[in-house]
Amino acid sequence: MDFSLSEEQQLLKDSLEKFVASEYSPTQREKLLHAPAAFSADHWQTFAELGWLSIPFSEEQGGIGGGIVESAIVMEAFGRGLVLEPFVDTVLLCGQVLARSGNASMAEQYLEPLIAGELQGALAWQERQSRSSLEHCETEAKRQDGGWLLNGEKVLVSNAAANLLIVSAKQGDQVGLFAVPADNPGVTLQTLKLMDGRDAMNVTLTDCQLTAEHCLQEAGLQLLQQVVDEATVALCAEAVGAMDYLYQATVEYSKTRKQFGQPIGKFQALQHRMVDMFMLTEQCRSLLVCALCSVSDNSETVTEDISALKAMVGRYGRQVAEEAVQLHGGMGVTHEMNIGHYLKRLMMIDVTFGDADFHRRRYCNARYAA
Amino acid sequence: MHAKFTPEERVFQQEVREFMTNEFTDELAARIRHPDSFREAMIEWQKKLDAKGWAANGWPVEHGGCGWSATKRSIYSNEMALAGAPDVVPMGIKMVGPVLYSFGNEEQKARFLPATKASDIWWCQGYSEPGAGSDLAALQTRAVRDGDDYIINGTKIWTTYAQYADWMFCLVRTNTEGKPQAGISFLLIDMTSPGITVSPIISIDDEHHLNEVSFSDVRVPVANRIGEENEGWTYAKALLTYERTALSGVGYCKRTLQRIRDYAANERQGGGRLIDDPDFQARLADVEMEVTSLEYLELRVLNAVDKGGAPGMESSLLKLKGSDCQQAVQTLYWNLAAAYGGVLPGDDHQNVSGHAYGDQARREYMFGRATTIYGGSNEVQRNIIAKFGLGL
Repeated sequence: MDFSLSEEQQLLKDSLEKFVASEYSPTQREKLLHAPAAFSADHWQTFAELGWLSIPFSEEQGGIGGGIVESAIVMEAFGRGLVLEPFVDTVLLCGQVLARSGNASMAEQYLEPLIAGELQGALAWQERQSRSSLEHCETEAKRQDGGWLLNGEKVLVSNAAANLLIVSAKQGDQVGLFAVPADNPGVTLQTLKLMDGRDAMNVTLTDCQLTAEHCLQEAGLQLLQQVVDEATVALCAEAVGAMDYLYQATVEYSKTRKQFGQPIGKFQALQHRMVDMFMLTEQCRSLLVCALCSVSDNSETVTEDISALKAMVGRYGRQVAEEAVQLHGGMGVTHEMNIGHYLKRLMMIDVTFGDADFHRRRYCNARYAA
Repeated sequence: MHAKFTPEERVFQQEVREFMTNEFTDELAARIRHPDSFREAMIEWQKKLDAKGWAANGWPVEHGGCGWSATKRSIYSNEMALAGAPDVVPMGIKMVGPVLYSFGNEEQKARFLPATKASDIWWCQGYSEPGAGSDLAALQTRAVRDGDDYIINGTKIWTTYAQYADWMFCLVRTNTEGKPQAGISFLLIDMTSPGITVSPIISIDDEHHLNEVSFSDVRVPVANRIGEENEGWTYAKALLTYERTALSGVGYCKRTLQRIRDYAANERQGGGRLIDDPDFQARLADVEMEVTSLEYLELRVLNAVDKGGAPGMESSLLKLKGSDCQQAVQTLYWNLAAAYGGVLPGDDHQNVSGHAYGDQARREYMFGRATTIYGGSNEVQRNIIAKFGLGL
């Protein structure tokens, strides 16, 4: 057992924190919200140059062979600053499906530009009737002329800048995974603005024709679940970074804001609430450590460990953010103060890949089934 | 970052598991449960642990500790919990032991450390008083110097297992001037000294764990004082730190959750198994997730110490969260027992109620109300964390 970071991991963490501190003040971030696709193309190039986009890929695939811990380090640092660039969508979802599918020609075609920062990716899995279930898929893939024909609709696909979509589609009684270029004539995109400042899209597939090699896996549910699970851990790391920021920012604010002739942080009623914010954050961090070890060790309990983490982060992330708003008083409900933006992001993390209730149910099914 | 065991650690795990299986017999467990045989059986169990070299595992190696890594300590407490075996009664080995080897003189170390480790001394803790609970520094028990002795007058309260104790470690007031913290000394008191009266306090689990201990002109040699006169607060605070980390109760929580799961798999509700009820599952899951986060919080603290760092301020959360978790587990246990938990013990109550665990569930719930009070109430813990952790 060892929860410490290696020297390389510590260096990575330091450089990420340096980036967030210098590039992600609330004012800087506010400007990016109005940029195309609501993030900075320049920052993305910086990520490529610093090698961050190559982190979770093997050396043979042009990466540095990092794992779940490195991904979590990136996302925790991004969470502290509410970084907008779509690292999870492009690198951890689209990139990891490509890298692990066993389809060499697709990996060769797309991973190099992805790692170079020239290609944006997205995972198009959610449908109107599926809610949080990965396997409930009505988009259909049919074989045609030695290739594939896709029809259906995907909703709330994160990263509206994506050039390449990984699409899950039912073929027979299995769920296949397909690499679909966003400029395929059978693809229609409709952009949606989300409350956390990001852009998502609904994707309609109408007789979308693909060559045989664009099928990444004919039976891809297991791979899909594995990649989504690991991205879920990374999202939870982002949430922990955001929670860490929130309780610290609230403590600092309470030391300077004066009422009744003294800093409000001197009031016991508020002190105890801030201690609880700190405790909820450390509890989530503890389950993050548990899930990181579980994924790294390929533990038998990996499903329940990830779902426990997501369930706790969903509930306590929002709770900590709500407390932060309350303790900032009137300032907490202004757009100008960044506290409310953290609340919005933590609310969105809760509903991504299944909310707290969904993951508690998944935990129960994994743990208590007869 | 990983939680895997090395081959050596797996061998150790097997060794602990076999020891617990072989040595913690059902017969011994039954005697520990019964109040009449509790003291004797507990000492027997602790002596078995000592013979194996494990009783004072957290002590420095030169005093008979094991020098275990965080991983080994966690393996040990996990295996102990899974076997349903109790850890040592904390007052001696876990509380006064560290004070003795940290602040005691050579003579005191030689006299008390081996006997404490071997469970030849049963210790009790003389901290709280009727007028000094969470505000411990307000304590009034007086110690007045008379030649080579102190003469003690006053009253201690909530003294767990004082009825079994050979010795008490005790905070007394040796100076009434200045700040309350500045006039306190730390004494070791022989419980057979003339002038000591131990009176039972029956708690809401209907058991006798707690006592009031009064001192009337009790003579205690000055040689039994730890460290300097009027410096006792420093030693007492150090001890509270040991006490709080010993109070997280992860092992107890995991063992009781395992019992709850086993019972719920056999418990029938409307003809089906209670464990299959989605609402029950959700409540169980909520508590299990809390306990897992507590377990990893503790492992993070231990791991940081292993790596040569000091435990961060997350360590101050262990007592707070640990006591919350214990009560959450006990509440679930009580809910599981349902109406059967309300049946008071009689000669044949188990047959009457049909539930062997109803009585236990009620007692643990009732006794557990104290976990958020003792060792500094959780409200006081929040004050401490706000001040020293958050800088408020």
